[in-house]
Amino acid sequence: MNLFSLPDLGIGVGLRTVHFGHILSRRPAVDWFEVLSENFMDTRGRPLWVLDQVAERYPIALHGVSMSIGGTDPLDREYLRKLKALAERTRAHWVSDHLCWTGVAGRNVHDLLPMPYTEEALRHTATRVRQVSEILERPLVLENPSSYVEFAASSMTEWEFLSRLGEEAECGLLLDVNNVYVSSFNHGFDPRVYIDNVPADRVVQYHVAGHTNKGTHILDTHSDHAVAEVWELFRRSCRRTGNVSTLYEWDEDIPDFEVLHAEALKARAYREERAAEPLQVVRA
Amino acid sequence: MLELPLGRMQRWMQEVVVHPGTVGEAIASARRELPPERLADVVLPSRTLTPAERVEIYQRMYLLRMEEALGVDYPGLQHFLGNDGFRRLVRDYVASFPSRSYTLNRLGDHLAEFILTAPGLRHRAFCHDLARLELGMTEVFDEAETPALSAKAVAAVPAESWPELRLRPIAAFRLLAVRYPVNAYVDSMDRKTHRYPRPRRKDTWLAVFRRDYSLRRLELSRPAYDLLSDLAAGRVLGEAVTTAARRGAGARESQLYRWFRQWMSSGLFAGIESGG
Repeated sequence: MNLFSLPDLGIGVGLRTVHFGHILSRRPAVDWFEVLSENFMDTRGRPLWVLDQVAERYPIALHGVSMSIGGTDPLDREYLRKLKALAERTRAHWVSDHLCWTGVAGRNVHDLLPMPYTEEALRHTATRVRQVSEILERPLVLENPSSYVEFAASSMTEWEFLSRLGEEAECGLLLDVNNVYVSSFNHGFDPRVYIDNVPADRVVQYHVAGHTNKGTHILDTHSDHAVAEVWELFRRSCRRTGNVSTLYEWDEDIPDFEVLHAEALKARAYREERAAEPLQVVRA
Repeated sequence: MLELPLGRMQRWMQEVVVHPGTVGEAIASARRELPPERLADVVLPSRTLTPAERVEIYQRMYLLRMEEALGVDYPGLQHFLGNDGFRRLVRDYVASFPSRSYTLNRLGDHLAEFILTAPGLRHRAFCHDLARLELGMTEVFDEAETPALSAKAVAAVPAESWPELRLRPIAAFRLLAVRYPVNAYVDSMDRKTHRYPRPRRKDTWLAVFRRDYSLRRLELSRPAYDLLSDLAAGRVLGEAVTTAARRGAGARESQLYRWFRQWMSSGLFAGIESGG
């Protein structure tokens, strides 16, 4: 069990528009749904009606892309008010976003832009995480991003940054094992070291996804099946964390619901075999 | 190694990411925050990419993302302009109206307005009307669902009371007067008939509304549009009908009954309110 006593919801998928009809008519046996917060915060039409139906029948977690927790603009209080209202409306088990920034000077570039892992960035982010948790009245859960740039000024690794942020700001971790793999390829580190050194007791959710290998770098596209190496990282991490709510992300070229669900259910086997052999931890 | 303060690093990177030119031009344009020759002191190279190539990944994705988001809200305009024309429009538009919201749903709010002055755009007036229609459809899509006035509620109103009453439209309702056949254009896309009208002048009046979470468009005659506009603006029924009759052509009594029947059965009204 994680530090926050947040439950293992099982294996879920993202709630996407193209599957609305299927989900409402077939009521598939999915354990839970992850909902992209911003898609439902400004509409009072059909998407919100569908979400209400889904939230009646399935457990929900909210996942956002615009909090800009590492940004240097002031926190958007109106955004946080709407986010809190949506969390209450859907009885969300938790609210997550990304360790990143999304814009400054009032702009939003709608990308998960990379942070330098410095003492200044750590202090800044920890202060904002505490403020957000207070406003939302629940611990914020942050996802490790995939990134394409590394800053020379970084004085610690991403997993060290996340560990210290967790301690200083009491936040949970959404561990995206595909992002670990993508960043390890792009930055040239051993992904097993990352997996073995994140704070296991703060992991409240997993993301698994596919990516696009461009040869010189990997893009986090969520457009395919996950490769074997990503599943292996998932298996490795489960041995440290125990069974934790797991979600398969597919956002580009989204397949039929059954294909997506079948891909997500592959996680079951990895979760079950986690105790089969002792883990040789790779230290940083 | 150069450690920029966090705020300055973010201003620099944003300026580079949103720049529409090459990455070299983008890095040069952001020189106030970071001199281009100091780039390698801030961004590390990877085994395969230079610092500039790494930043370029974010820069390239920016316009693609904006184009994709606007393409969702303006599929007709994208189809009419073609991918290259739409891409140019998006590039120029987001330079003038960048996203300032946490949601991409608001990104296109000023596109119709921008089209009026967008550089090098052919068939500007047609594009403007098409964008206005598609924006109206997006707004109606996101409005609250309000129950339509029932036949029972209408029947319960004494006949002599009607002239002093107002009809309140449902929330998911917009009226639109356009000068080009953009409704027919969107129709041919929706129905996949590929019989696209030419961008020639043809005045059209429309009600865009939603019923049971389904988006609908109703073409109206000019007199019907005028009457519906008056009602939507809150004029009492008696006044609105008298005005319609005074406007003359097309607003005969039998015609008025037909319109009202159609509007009621389409669920355009949510309530009846006292005119006082």
